[in-house]
Parts: sequence; structure tokens; C-alpha cells
Amino acid sequence: MGNFKTKQTQEAERSVFLNRILFSSLAILILGGLIITRLVYLMVIQTDDLSLRSINNTLRTQSIPAPRGLIYDRNNQVIAENKPKFQMEMIPEQVNELQNSLVYLTELGILNENEIPIIQERVRKNYQFKSIVIKRDLNEKEIAIYANNRMLLKGFDIKSRLTRNYPQGEIYAHVVGYMGSISSNDFQRFDPSFYTGKEQIGKSAIEREYEHVLRGIPGKQKLLVNVRGRVMDEVEKEAFTSGNNIVLTLNSELQKTAYESMAGKKGSVVAMDPRNGEILAMISMPSFDPTAISLGLSQSEFNKLNGNKKRPLFNRAIAGQYPPGSTVKPMLALGALDMGVVDSDYYLPCEGEFKLPNYSRPFGDWATHGSVNTKRAIQASCDVYFYESAVEMGIERMSAFLKKFNLGEKTKLDLGSEKEGLVPNQEWKRNNFESKQNQNWYLGETVIAGIGQGYMLATPLQLAYATSIIANRGYAYKPHILKQMNLNGISEASHTQSQRIDHLMNIDEKYWDIVFDGMNAVVNEQRGTAYGVFPKNSDIAGKTGTSQVFSMDKRSGDDMPEELRDHGLFIGFAPINNPEIVVAVIVENGGGGRVAAAPVAEKMFSKFLELGGIKVAQSN
Amino acid sequence: MLNRIETWQVQSKEGLMSQIHIDLPLMIAVLLASTVSAIAIFSASNSSEAFLTSHLIRIGLSILAMIVAAQFSPLFYSRVAPWLYAICLVLLIAVFFFGETRNNATRWIHIGISFQPSEFLKIAMPLVIAKYIASGSIPLNNTNIMASLVLVFLPTALIFKQPDLGTSILIAFSGLVIVFLSGIKKRYLFSAIILFLGCLPFIWKTIHPFQQQRVLTFLDPEKDPLGAGYHIIQSKIAIGSGGLFGKGWLNGTQGQLDFLPERTTDFIFSILAEEFGLVGVLLIILIYLFIVGRGLLIAINSDDLFSRLAASSISLTFFIYVFVNIGMTTGLLPVVGVPLPLISKGGTSSFTLMASLGILMSLHTHKRLIPR
Repeated sequence: MGNFKTKQTQEAERSVFLNRILFSSLAILILGGLIITRLVYLMVIQTDDLSLRSINNTLRTQSIPAPRGLIYDRNNQVIAENKPKFQMEMIPEQVNELQNSLVYLTELGILNENEIPIIQERVRKNYQFKSIVIKRDLNEKEIAIYANNRMLLKGFDIKSRLTRNYPQGEIYAHVVGYMGSISSNDFQRFDPSFYTGKEQIGKSAIEREYEHVLRGIPGKQKLLVNVRGRVMDEVEKEAFTSGNNIVLTLNSELQKTAYESMAGKKGSVVAMDPRNGEILAMISMPSFDPTAISLGLSQSEFNKLNGNKKRPLFNRAIAGQYPPGSTVKPMLALGALDMGVVDSDYYLPCEGEFKLPNYSRPFGDWATHGSVNTKRAIQASCDVYFYESAVEMGIERMSAFLKKFNLGEKTKLDLGSEKEGLVPNQEWKRNNFESKQNQNWYLGETVIAGIGQGYMLATPLQLAYATSIIANRGYAYKPHILKQMNLNGISEASHTQSQRIDHLMNIDEKYWDIVFDGMNAVVNEQRGTAYGVFPKNSDIAGKTGTSQVFSMDKRSGDDMPEELRDHGLFIGFAPINNPEIVVAVIVENGGGGRVAAAPVAEKMFSKFLELGGIKVAQSN
Repeated sequence: MLNRIETWQVQSKEGLMSQIHIDLPLMIAVLLASTVSAIAIFSASNSSEAFLTSHLIRIGLSILAMIVAAQFSPLFYSRVAPWLYAICLVLLIAVFFFGETRNNATRWIHIGISFQPSEFLKIAMPLVIAKYIASGSIPLNNTNIMASLVLVFLPTALIFKQPDLGTSILIAFSGLVIVFLSGIKKRYLFSAIILFLGCLPFIWKTIHPFQQQRVLTFLDPEKDPLGAGYHIIQSKIAIGSGGLFGKGWLNGTQGQLDFLPERTTDFIFSILAEEFGLVGVLLIILIYLFIVGRGLLIAINSDDLFSRLAASSISLTFFIYVFVNIGMTTGLLPVVGVPLPLISKGGTSSFTLMASLGILMSLHTHKRLIPR
């Protein structure tokens, strides 16, 4: 320090300096107080709020999906099960270079080049922290390739998940249904909380109808994660409750027989036990592979399936509505006898056609039957006999009687999306036609209703149920497919039992006998429409039916285009005196009932015989 | 009042420590802070022993730098100050033209080793201003004020342009505080403040977009919680969730699970707050206040103007370091990238900071420049 300062100057400097130091100390206290106030604010006043945010940062609640209940046939054969499938998933925010990673995956042969833009589009629409599936159903080789390259595939992971598998393939497709992605519509059916961590829900048939039984209750897992979402620890775990297994009334042997005998055809087979309403077999053809649909079809695959003219997804057994044709004849014969329109001694001469006054053209029969009584009319399916009975009964009495067989009404089978068919009368026509002229009921319409043609429609299930009413002589049990379910893992089975429903209890037994005779003769006597199709002296009662798709004077032949050929129908039951099985068959565009439907029914009955019948649970 | 302050005696003057020019209270405080630093760094590095070891080595070297710095006399510092300042200025100009650019900032120069010349100004600036002003007398006349301001703003502007807002503010402060302590007239002070406020829009335009972003984020961090606001939000969560007593050492989820970024450097205070709570951080603040208080006491007890001004500048700048760092981690101030003194991991910055504390010791323990 070069320059000398006087004592006075030093004192003055000191005083100024100390003054400012004092001021600075004050500033320090104020700023320090500010910091401490801020800390108290954050760490005392806001601590609860910020602690919660700290917990939210690190705790992830994850659902553990419950395995879905299995579905068995009545003999505990597996119809639907869960199978692990491996899929590649990606969390977009964890991927460094999306484009490069995807290109790398194509180089490894795991992805196709044309999938890249689709995936990028999905990434754009997705939450960046949410995992998206980029490839389903990886095979072992692809898993191995991934494992070898995982260091280069940051953000990609292979997850296994249980997928629905239907080991019997197409055979049970329409009954058991399939699974599909959960859509917002599905949440209207069920509480979304059951579906946390799940991708799929039952979309049709049993899978949909018994969704609440099959799904189980998901478990919960609280995980400690770091900033990159890596799981560091499991904090809490709440186990899942598996879905309940269910057993169906179906018999795989009968189901398989129905499927195989309908191979290559369109149509449906329904077999049920008239003693309890259990559905033993239910087939709709063509069918589809429910496993493939549940795994997720590509849009084009789905369009192909959905746009298929033969409508494989459509369950003809419950939603296919067909003119029942001559299969209504046993019911109408019973009605005619009961109403006194005909009696057992009455013989009608059939000359092959039926004339109405004021109608220029006669109503044709498919053959000339000569002199026929009720039994013979059923046996040989004489149209003229039923034309005349129909006119005598009139449409109102006729439709009222047919409705007693539950036609025109849903059977309320536990499968959903059932159609109710149609039994027309004058009121129905008034209400369902636009123009005044069309609202009138014409006598000619009564005539063709007598042979199950015209407006009349029935589903295969309705025909089977009506046949049960015939077989039991007036009563039946509500049809059902669920046999038992093991609720909440307790092995105690809850059997589902149907209430007996009386439909027609005041018919004279001798009229029933006549109808049964006629239906037996269909199968076992010469000139019976199904004679020769079944083994001789089968203990089976049946009725064929042929419903016209396209009105033509000439009968069907091989030169007809297939889609214009008649539908073949057959209904039947066995044994005649103590019926245990009812079968209804419809073969679309298969030609007549004898050629198309009766052989299918025959296979069902002989399989049933071969199995030695079906044991019935003792009801109380 | 003033006379009473004078009579406070600093006890260590005659002891053994004084012989080797160590101020024992300061030394104890520094060692305490270093211990806290080791504890915090171990936690912030996810219990990395390798990281802790290299940090302990750095602390050791810094303490050594402090002890070495304490050995030189105040006279030496007074003489060397202008040269040190000049060299720093030349280096800063060199940085401006030939500097190394990392992360969009040109702060480094490479002469054998890479270093930031701005760090050395943290030592040079208080010394040179103290030296300049002490060579005249106070209160300052206008010429001296202007000259001091030029000395302060020349390097500040160069550092500001690098850009390094945090360092330039601290360096400007370390110079300006001496002008303030030298009794600048209050009306000048107010005019300067008004002038500064008037210039704010102009300053806003000259700072970098990322710096503007920091200020905007400071004003409303929740606007972009995953982007610009992320640091400050996570820091506040860490501090607030610590509560009164903290989550315990190595148990802070914000730190241990990597939610808190930059936690070994700028945001180490948040780690301490999360794991040791309000009680813990108040104790740490107490250590800091003790160091600042001790520094100011040394300043008061110095007999010559140079020592007084240099010591008080070092102490007050130290306080501003602490204030800015805690202020920014708690969301009181924008994030300007100032480490927490003695605790944050840091290379040159902790080194120069310790050296300045060494100078503080030197000012206190050496023979008087001017005998009483």
C-alpha cells in the first residue's frame, strides 16, 4: 500500500465502511429470512401436497388381469381355454430413435416395411408412456432374435399374455362365441374397473352372455418405479380372483357329428333334450375359427370374413329365420283335429292341386297323393290336405294354434341375439304393410300358410323347441346352454334347471297318437318322405320340410342355380314314446328335406344311439 | 455501536493455527460443510462409491488450495491483483475469439488443459476493485466510481456474452458490492437501480432465448411440467416432500429414483431437503451464516481498507452464492446455474471458492500491512 493516510482519514473510512457493513448484515438477515420463510412454506405448509406428488411420481398401480374361466362341454371336454401368447410391445417415450428402431426390426425380419407408417401413426395417437403392441403372436425364432438384439432395442419388450384358445376350432364357434378388444360400448355393459389391465371382453354368444361369470376380478399391484418407469420394487399386491369355469349342456360328440355332416353346406343343426331343455348340439354353417378372431384379425381379414356372402359369423341356429315349410304340418294337423276341422276317419282325395274360387291359378302339390287321411297327409306331406285344412281353420285360428308351439316368439335361450321368427295373421299384416291394398289378408295367403310358406318364419332353435313340445305332448322346458358354473372357486356346482312350461295341455291324447303315427310313418313307412333315409324300424318320429326360396312351377333340379334351390328341413325326436332327443336341421339351398336335411338328422340320431343316450340329472 | 463492533476480538490470532495462517472457526465450518457435501453426494450419485471417492479427492484438493492461499500475505494479493485481473481479461478476450464451445456456451479455453477463465475472476475481481479503491480514499469521488464500474463491467460483459448468466451476476456482484461498501452516495445507488430497471427490456432482448425461457419458466413452471418447468417442479416436490425431518438418508424417492435432475450439482440442496427435512437444511443454513458472519467479522477487524473491502466482498459474494442457489431450487429465483458453495460437486468453481476462503484466512492471520 503505497499511500499514507492520516488518522482522521482512516477513522472516516472506517465509519463509512462499518455503516455499510451494518446495512449489508441487515440485507443478509432479510434475504436469509426470505429463504427460511420459503423453506417453511414448502416443507411445512405445502408438505402434504408435495409429498403426494412425490408419491405419485414413484408409485404405479398396475392391474394383474385375472385368468378367464374355462368353458367345458357336458363331459368336461375343454371348449375354451387360456393360452400364453408372446407379443412385442413398445413404450414410445423409452425409444430413442423410433424410425431407426423400426427399420432395424424390419432388418431382423420381425416387422414388415409397410407396417412402419401404421405403427408411427399409432404412436402419434397414443400416450407416449403407454405401451402399444407392435406385433402379436411371436414365434420362438422371433423371440430368440429379439433376445439377441435387445440391447439395441431400447423401449421394446416382449410380454406374454393369456389369450383365448378354442381347441375345437370351428365346431363350437357360434355357441361359445369369441373375444375382442374392449370398446366404449362394452363399458355400458360392465363396470370398467373389472377390465383394468385387460384388452379383451367376450364379444358374442356364451363368452358375451356369461362375461360376468367368466371374467374374474383383477388383482392390483403397487410398484415403485424410477423416472424412466423401470420397476424398482413391489410395494403392495392384491391377488386376482380367477374367473369361474362353466360347463355347457353341449355334447362334443353330437356337436362334432353335426359339424361334420354339415361340412360344405349352409344351414344349421339344433339338438336338444326335451326332458330338461338342455341344448345338446348347436351348429351354424359355414363356421369360423374363434381363436383367430380372438387373437385379432387384420382389418382386411375381418372384412373378408364379415363380407363373405355365406355369412359365417351369423348364427343361423338362433337368428336365421326360414320359412318352416312342411315341418309345421304335424302342428297344423293337431290343430285341425283339435278344432274338429278334420277327424281321424276323414279321407281327402288329393289330385295334385287345390283350387280356390276367384283364383285363376290352382295351388300345386308336389305330388298327387290320392286318398289321404291325417296320418297319411303327414307321412307323405300332402299339401292339398293342409291347403284345405288351412282354409277351414282360417288364418286367425291357425296362427293362434301355431303360437302355442312358441313360434313367432323368442325361446329366451341364454345366448343372446335370438330372432323371434314370424307367425302371420290379419292384424300383423295390417300393421306391417304400407299400402292399404297390401294390408288386406287374402285367402290365398291362408292356403300357403297351411304348408308353412308365405310370410311364416322360424329359426332352427324355434323348430327344435316346437318339436320338443310335440315330443312331450304339450309341454317343454325352456332351452338353455349353461349346465353349471363353479362360483368363486367353490366346487359346489350350481345346476341350471329349467322350469317346465305347459303350452298345450288339453289336447286329446288320441290326436297326439295320430300325429305321432304320421311322424313315425315319415321315417319308417313306404311313401314316408324320409323313408329309406333311416335304418328300418327306427324308433324315431320326424317330418321333412322343403321351403321354396324362389317360386317356380318346376321343382328343383341340379340345373337350378344353387342360391335359388329350396331349403331342406327336418324335425324329429326319439324314442317316440319317451323322447330323449329332438333334432332340427335346416340346409340352405340344399334341395328338399329328404335329400338335404333328413340324412343329417339321421346321423345325429344314430350318434345319439351310439352314445347310449344322455343321462339326465335327477330333478326334484 | 460502531465502537462495540471494533472491540469484538477474534480469538485465534495468537494460537498455533494462526502461525500456519489457518482460521480455526472458518476451518471447522468448511470441514463441516465438506462432510455434509460427502453425505449428499453419495446419496445423489445413487450410492456410487467411485463417485464419492473422486469427490473426496476434489474436496481434499480444494482444502489444500485454501490452505495454500492462506499462506500468501495480503500484501502479495494486493500487489498481484492487477496482474491477475489483466491476465483474466486477456484470457476472457481469447475465449471470446478462440474459446471452446460446449452445450452452446463458449466458456472454455485450452492451453494444455481446458479451464474457464471466468472462474479465476471470482478471485481477481474483489481483489482488484479492493486494491483500486484502497489506493485512493473513501467515500469515492465520481471518477473513482466510473473507473471501478469500468473494471467491473468489462469482464462481466464478456462472461455474459459466453453466455454464463450465473457467473456474470456473481462476478459483477463481487465488484459492485465493494463500490457499495466504499460509501457510494445513496442517490447514486437509487439512480443505478432505476437505470437497471429501465434497461430491463433491453437486457431481455440481448439475453439468449434459453435464458429467456428460464425466466419464463421461473414465472410459471407448471406451464410446461415435462419440459422447461421439469427441473424446478421436481426440485420443489423433493424439498416439500422432505417435511420437517426428511425421508432419511438414501431414502429420498425424488433423488434415488432419478426424478430430480442435476442433483449432484445445482440441485443438491433439494436432495438434502428431501432426506434431512427442514431441520437438516436449517442446520446447513446455520453453517453458511456462520461462515458469512465470520468473514464479515474478519473484515471489520481488518486494519487496512484493502483487507476490509476484499474480505467483505468475499463474504457477501459467498452469501449471494448460497442465496441464489437455494433461491433457485426453491423456486424463488430463476434457474441460473449457480452451485451450492462447498456442497455441490464442482471442479474449478469449488476450487476457486475455497481459494477465496483461503484469502479470507490470509487477510485475517497475517501481519498487518500498516502497523497500528
